[in-house]
Amino acid sequence: MYSEAVPLLLSAALIGVVAAALFSSRVSTSLIMLFYASVILGAIFTLYGDSLVGLLQMITFAGAVSVLLLTVILMTGQSDLSIGVRRAALYGMLAALAVAAASAYALFAGSSGIASVPSTDISVAVFGFIWQYREWDVLILVTVFASAMVAVTNLLSEEK
Amino acid sequence: MVSDQTILMATGTILVFLGIAAISYSKNLVKSVMAFQVVVFGVNLALFAAGLSQTSRLMGDTLVFMSILVGASAEAVGLAIVVTVFRKYGTLNPMEIRRLRG
Repeated sequence: MYSEAVPLLLSAALIGVVAAALFSSRVSTSLIMLFYASVILGAIFTLYGDSLVGLLQMITFAGAVSVLLLTVILMTGQSDLSIGVRRAALYGMLAALAVAAASAYALFAGSSGIASVPSTDISVAVFGFIWQYREWDVLILVTVFASAMVAVTNLLSEEK
Repeated sequence: MVSDQTILMATGTILVFLGIAAISYSKNLVKSVMAFQVVVFGVNLALFAAGLSQTSRLMGDTLVFMSILVGASAEAVGLAIVVTVFRKYGTLNPMEIRRLRG
């Protein structure tokens, strides 16, 4: 039950939410649907035993990038949040809750408690692997972040 | 029976192609950045699914880890470019920007 229902439900929900985000005429609706897509993708990572990557996915995309997108939408005057959009966001939240409940039921049905969750603590192992190559990993990440910060600062600075 | 890995890999591929289609179809630069984010989602899911078949999932997980951080950085730069373009041309429609450039 777990191996069939969970990936199918989550994949269908992910594709549906992404399609709604990409082909909606309103930018605000797209932003809300993209937020849900980030949450569903984080749930997929978490349900398959990779809680560290799932958490990072939710923090980065559902948190930071969503706020960045919202800021840009407000700065460029594209915001069109009406009552209808808020209602759509509420329906989307209910749908996401239903998918989460169905996934949780499929995950634990037919098994005794938490036994079906992978027992290996993958996050500790990932930390160990990254720690083994920490010099290169930190160097690459610092370079990427520094380049992004310099680029954003240069682009957003006012011309005199 | 179709395995979980196949389903997740197919979903990742669909997301990548949906994102590419939306980038070429979109008439709003903010939505193009959103479509780029969907492509990043698809790549992350495909990398994660590829790692599921290995006895040690460390390489796949580490690649997803890196991909999330690099994707977020690229998206921040893309949004900054969108704001700069809007300040200069006053529009976010790529066709109109091309026309204004002459």
